[in-house]
Amino acid sequence: MAMAALRREGRRFAPLISPRPITAVRSSPLYPTLEDEGPLGLRHISTQVVRNRMKSVKNIQKITKAMKMVAASKLRAIQTKTENSRGLWQPFTALLGDLPSADVRKNVVVTISSDKGLCGGINSTSVKISKGLHKLNSGPEKETKYVILGEKAKAQLVRDSKKDIELIITELQKNPLNYTQVSVLADEILKNVEYDALRIVFNKFQSVVSFVPTVSTVLSPEIVEREAESGGKLGDLDSYEVEGGETKGEILQNLAEFQFSCTMFNAVLENACSEQGARMSAMDSSSRNAGDMLDRLTLTYNRTRQASITTELIEIISGASALEG
Amino acid sequence: MTLNLCVLTPNRILWDSEVKEIILSTNSRKIGVFSNHAPIAATIDIGILRIRLNDQWLTMALMGGFAKIDNNEITILVNDAEKGSDIDPQEAHQALEIAEANLRKAEGKRQTIEANLALRQARTRVEAINAIS
Repeated sequence: MAMAALRREGRRFAPLISPRPITAVRSSPLYPTLEDEGPLGLRHISTQVVRNRMKSVKNIQKITKAMKMVAASKLRAIQTKTENSRGLWQPFTALLGDLPSADVRKNVVVTISSDKGLCGGINSTSVKISKGLHKLNSGPEKETKYVILGEKAKAQLVRDSKKDIELIITELQKNPLNYTQVSVLADEILKNVEYDALRIVFNKFQSVVSFVPTVSTVLSPEIVEREAESGGKLGDLDSYEVEGGETKGEILQNLAEFQFSCTMFNAVLENACSEQGARMSAMDSSSRNAGDMLDRLTLTYNRTRQASITTELIEIISGASALEG
Repeated sequence: MTLNLCVLTPNRILWDSEVKEIILSTNSRKIGVFSNHAPIAATIDIGILRIRLNDQWLTMALMGGFAKIDNNEITILVNDAEKGSDIDPQEAHQALEIAEANLRKAEGKRQTIEANLALRQARTRVEAINAIS
């Protein structure tokens, strides 16, 4: 009686042991060598393997969650600084205008990127725009050079534009960003690179989920004079009486240098903000994916476990019934 | 006609409100600005900015930069600025003495220039405190 019941139970379990029980796992590329054919033609995946994988995915999830929180706190710290520095370059734009379309002979593209990775696509967009600017501004009389800040842009641009790179600066964020450091940097660039127009490419931080690639243009004093003569926004410049210092040219020179260092400072801060924000969202989606993977693996694990228990039971039952005769 | 003054440094906005008159020290001379002044773009040296609100004068120490004056809007962009009331007199005097000592033992052109700069900055800060009292 009991045996008949158990046999019935055995039959009830039978549908579970269909010939190909674990299709999801079989299609994954990780298990090709670990399957073996057991009785009834079913494939056993060892529970140990699945358990190991679950453990490593769980660790990855923990790490990415932690990285997200670290990025969030760094973002908070640097966001206030960025907002305070935004007021700095606006008067310059009000006075001198932002003329991205100025046609000049010597262009210098200053690409700002991050040193560390795992921050989404912001560095690739910056590099893409820099390359676009380069293409736009190269011709018979024009030339474009690169100044690179940050490891990620360096890695991408060194590959195909090595001869156009003037200066590479990395490890910018080793010490907290401050104006003195950036103004020294700006000084270096102005000293070593000949330019008619400097185009700074960076990611502007609009909100925690939106980073807009932006180009800020700083023109050299000669070009400013030229554009002022041709009228337009800069035509108003002449209406300003210039005080202090000796000649108007010298003042314009100082102004251009100051404008460059202020714009650089703002650009570097904005890019740092965007980097942290992008890293936050990248790590967030990583943790979510890891969570999904963990769910799927748990299901697989349970199915494997139940299948092996069932097999054992059936063996025992059939063995016992065989003994009884 | 109200004159609006905005003093900005890379790290923060130091002043953003209306004033009656300011006295700015540019590279060449000191200029006083009332409302309806002609448009001016000026370079500012390391020195004092005096601000008059109604009948009270306030001092600010500026560390070099630019000023733009037009349409009753004054925008001052400087590398660094401190309100006279925010400076601690003890500390400012000490900084002045240290700067003077550094200048005396500076060797080489670069150190001399840096020491001179530091001295001027320290002097400006001390002046800023004295001007109030």
